Amino acid sequence: MKLAKILLGSAVVLGSLAGASYAEDQRIHIILCGDDTWGGEVNAAHMAAWEASNPGFKTDIEYVPWGQCQDKATTLAASGNPPAIAYMGSRTLKQLAQNELIMSHDLTEEELASYAAPILGTVTADGKIWGLPRAFSTKALYYNKDLFEAAGLDPNSPPKTWDELYSAAAAIKEKTDADGIGLAAASFDNTMHQFMNYVYTNGGEVINADGDIVFNSPNNVETMEFYGKLASVSQPGPVAYDRGKLVPLFNEAKIGMYISGPWGRSQTGDAVNWGVAPLPVGPNGTPGTLLITDSYAVFKGSGVEEAALSLAKFMTSTDNQMEFEIAAGLTPLRPDHPEVAKLREADPTWGAFLDAIATGGPEPFVTDYVGLQDVINEAIQSVVLGEASAADAVAQAAEDLEEYK
Amino acid sequence: MQSLGGRPNIFPYLLLLPALIITLVIVAWPLVETVRLSFTDAALKPTENFVGFANYEKIFSKKFPEVIGRTFYWMAISVSLKMIVGTMGAMLLNSRVPGRDFFRVLVMPPWIVPIAIGVFIWAWMYNGQFGMISGVAQYLHIIAGPYEFLGDRTGAFYSTIVTDIWIGTPMVTIYLLAAMQSISPDLHEAAWVDGAGRMYRFRRITLPLILPAIATMGLLSAIWTFNSFDIIWILTKGGPRDATTTMIIDTYKTAISRNKYGEGAARAVMIVIFLSSFAGFYFFMLKQFAKRSLAK
Repeated sequence: MKLAKILLGSAVVLGSLAGASYAEDQRIHIILCGDDTWGGEVNAAHMAAWEASNPGFKTDIEYVPWGQCQDKATTLAASGNPPAIAYMGSRTLKQLAQNELIMSHDLTEEELASYAAPILGTVTADGKIWGLPRAFSTKALYYNKDLFEAAGLDPNSPPKTWDELYSAAAAIKEKTDADGIGLAAASFDNTMHQFMNYVYTNGGEVINADGDIVFNSPNNVETMEFYGKLASVSQPGPVAYDRGKLVPLFNEAKIGMYISGPWGRSQTGDAVNWGVAPLPVGPNGTPGTLLITDSYAVFKGSGVEEAALSLAKFMTSTDNQMEFEIAAGLTPLRPDHPEVAKLREADPTWGAFLDAIATGGPEPFVTDYVGLQDVINEAIQSVVLGEASAADAVAQAAEDLEEYK
Repeated sequence: MQSLGGRPNIFPYLLLLPALIITLVIVAWPLVETVRLSFTDAALKPTENFVGFANYEKIFSKKFPEVIGRTFYWMAISVSLKMIVGTMGAMLLNSRVPGRDFFRVLVMPPWIVPIAIGVFIWAWMYNGQFGMISGVAQYLHIIAGPYEFLGDRTGAFYSTIVTDIWIGTPMVTIYLLAAMQSISPDLHEAAWVDGAGRMYRFRRITLPLILPAIATMGLLSAIWTFNSFDIIWILTKGGPRDATTTMIIDTYKTAISRNKYGEGAARAVMIVIFLSSFAGFYFFMLKQFAKRSLAK
């Protein structure tokens, strides 16, 4: 009798638990990078608004440190337990798509038109959109006005061409205690990013729209030569420096110039008397910049794919995205948005970052981004260290890149 | 195994069972799984196919032999210096010097401080513009301007070794110190009475008696150094131009950074084979050495 009671009681408890779980909202697991200090409140408000109009779903944000967030989402997906949405570097999308881990997004003509065309290029492969851009950056040239003046240069006339850039760097190196320019050449992703800024301002490409490797071009050989030449007027040992390590050098007036994104303004603050200008243009190029986006990727196999697609689209819709960008201090993804004009007016330094969007180029979209990055960094380091000619380094890299297209 | 009554006694086996299960789960299963993965094309995609020895053929057709050579060279220099410096340190700490206990504590921080923190401090010291080493060298007019220790292939290679020695030496020192302390002082006193000098006593008494400890520590240190990942990764990420890419760094880049789990597993299997062979050779040499010592 006692046993029967226990069994009956257990059945009731289990039944009520099952009923409760059946009535529970479906969880939408979202992996975001960093913490909630950059746009976290806006994120939460937008997700609450989406939940209100989509009953039955509950968003669950997991913040993971920058160094691990993308690896965690990828590893979870590879092991069959994917998040519904993850914040991913857009450069990884082609690889994820090729391995059938993520969903493509259907955007209306109006939604597509709201983005500048080069931005869509950062998330498009095989004619499909694989992620919705969430964070965006362009690059510009930061320069120390006081060092320009000390070197006999006009502090209100930053270099506009590569020749002017080299001359200014050489003058600073020769006439002041500082080095001319900060050059990144460490074994790190932003070394390739820095180099790509020069590639895009000299009419070069790594992979074309047809998916062919076109790295071995006269333009890129010229770019590689110039990057190597800059090492003669840069800080000593550029191979030991990634972009982040250049910031203290600039803030301590140990280098006259360096290239960085809009966050560089707050990183320097009033440490030195600085200006920011569009990237100087190479002999065979036009104004440009490397466009980097991070996107919301929706993973297959979460069980809530359709809801996740809806949520991602809602979060990145025109006004919501703009609100997030203002809160997080990011370059606006939609330069035609009315709020962008106000931003420019309030802070004219935005101009250098916004004007180059139209002619900017995306990160090379390949199936093995880390492999590509290693190959290009190897070429850069061989030239910067003077161990290979630019032509040989570019030719070798182009050959090696065939494996990753 | 039988009990005194002649019946099989399974009780000892039952006692061993938990340890056996833990060993199978923690050691054997991952090892078997790694070997299995190494024969597949496992990557990001949900499915995987058997590819035979393709992964092994692929790694040996590229730079892997160069990576193997570099790994052994890196390990040989680092372990040799750790053993030499560690033995000297143990001798000093074993001698009767004022403040000996204080110095014994002082030798530990490189081992106690979390490796990542210690390596970040070294990365800062290697910096040419703000680092202490370059600054002092400039102050003493040894170098004319800032020198980036991680800014060229040779500098980066040896800088990672120096950091590895700094982190690994305290363990060697403390281990060998313990071995030295286990030697009866009577032996030294008797030899001293017979007129044996300090070096002679070290060569004929201390060294032979701590040889097993040196062998054990040498082997352990070799395995740890061979698998040393965090020091190189934090300082150079294997660069510049692969100058500090050892087998473990190469395996991580392949399996984790590039999500090529099959190829990465093949590299991991190579590491296991090398370390097992190395350990086997080491023990064989030790046995030979012991035989020769007994024959004298």
